[in-house]
Amino acid sequence: MRVAVVGLGAVGTRAARQLASTDAVTEVVLRDERSPRVTEVASALGAKARPELGPYPSVPEADVVVIATPAGTQVDLARALVGRGTPVVTTSDAIDDVSALLDLGPEADARGVPLAIGATFAPGLTCVLARFAADQLDTVDEIHVARIGTGGPACARQHHDSLRGTALDWRDGGWQRRPAGSGRELNWFPDPIGAADCYRAALPDALLLVPAFKGVGRVTARLAATRRDRLTAPLPMLRRPHPEAGLGAVRVEVRGRADDGIRVEILGAMDRPGVAGGAVAALAAVELGSGRALRAGAGGLAELVEAKSFLAELGRRGVKAARFG
Amino acid sequence: MTLIRRALVAVGVAGGIAAVLRLRGSGGTPPQRGGWRELSPDELR
Repeated sequence: MRVAVVGLGAVGTRAARQLASTDAVTEVVLRDERSPRVTEVASALGAKARPELGPYPSVPEADVVVIATPAGTQVDLARALVGRGTPVVTTSDAIDDVSALLDLGPEADARGVPLAIGATFAPGLTCVLARFAADQLDTVDEIHVARIGTGGPACARQHHDSLRGTALDWRDGGWQRRPAGSGRELNWFPDPIGAADCYRAALPDALLLVPAFKGVGRVTARLAATRRDRLTAPLPMLRRPHPEAGLGAVRVEVRGRADDGIRVEILGAMDRPGVAGGAVAALAAVELGSGRALRAGAGGLAELVEAKSFLAELGRRGVKAARFG
Repeated sequence: MTLIRRALVAVGVAGGIAAVLRLRGSGGTPPQRGGWRELSPDELR
């Protein structure tokens, strides 16, 4: 399988590394607007890497393409690839991007092409955890997602921007828009992260989870933030974002009904968001490129991959899911 | 004198109620076991 990775930031580089160490992958095509970065990553990956230096007049030739460019730059390339019939994995967690990518669904469906949206730590892994939890239940009433931490600089900027946007929650069959930074909730993340205050933010999780779980009553997403994060959210970033942050975590709470009555399933994971996000994107690419997508069309990983086997393989790659209880 | 006696009775009753509430609490004992644990291979099979 020949896989292309476009965008070699924190997530793209990790995805390329994961792909290069996957037996089923024979070649990893690398693209980035920064030519020195392409050369640097290619030399680190070894024989399977195939660097392509810009400018790029056409889309990459590959069996599946991972788009890991910054938010706001993924939709046009995804559209071109879907039009050519190539499976695509995207990593953006911006609401506008996710919404525009979901709009490509009918075309992808018509062409029989899977388009995985938001395939990183959150969304991405959170979608798979939600599906795994839901599989333990007969019906799903509520899904609540929380996350803490950022990956590379682009992720840090997105984190900053999302705290001044508008949060999108699903409640009783309709969308609710609330100010980002409101709705404080204390969430317990997997050790050693522990407890953190989380707030509404402009996160796309509900856009991906609502179509995946028909009949769900409530879907919310929250982001851990400090007082300084919330205070400075309306301003431009006051200092340059760090090259890579430390540990982060996700927590997914699914409430529903089973044989024994009302049940609450709480799942999570802890890792460096860039590392885990790269692993999720790479594994999603392998699944789609191998023809194992559960259906064609655009959607989150909750709809496109088999949760148990995905989490098992992710665990073998070092990203381990945990259960609270 | 009556006022002082009533005040002392009121303080005593309030203290008694506070002691009962303090001992009983409202949320019971916090969980002493559980927490996060990795999904086992069996759960993912």
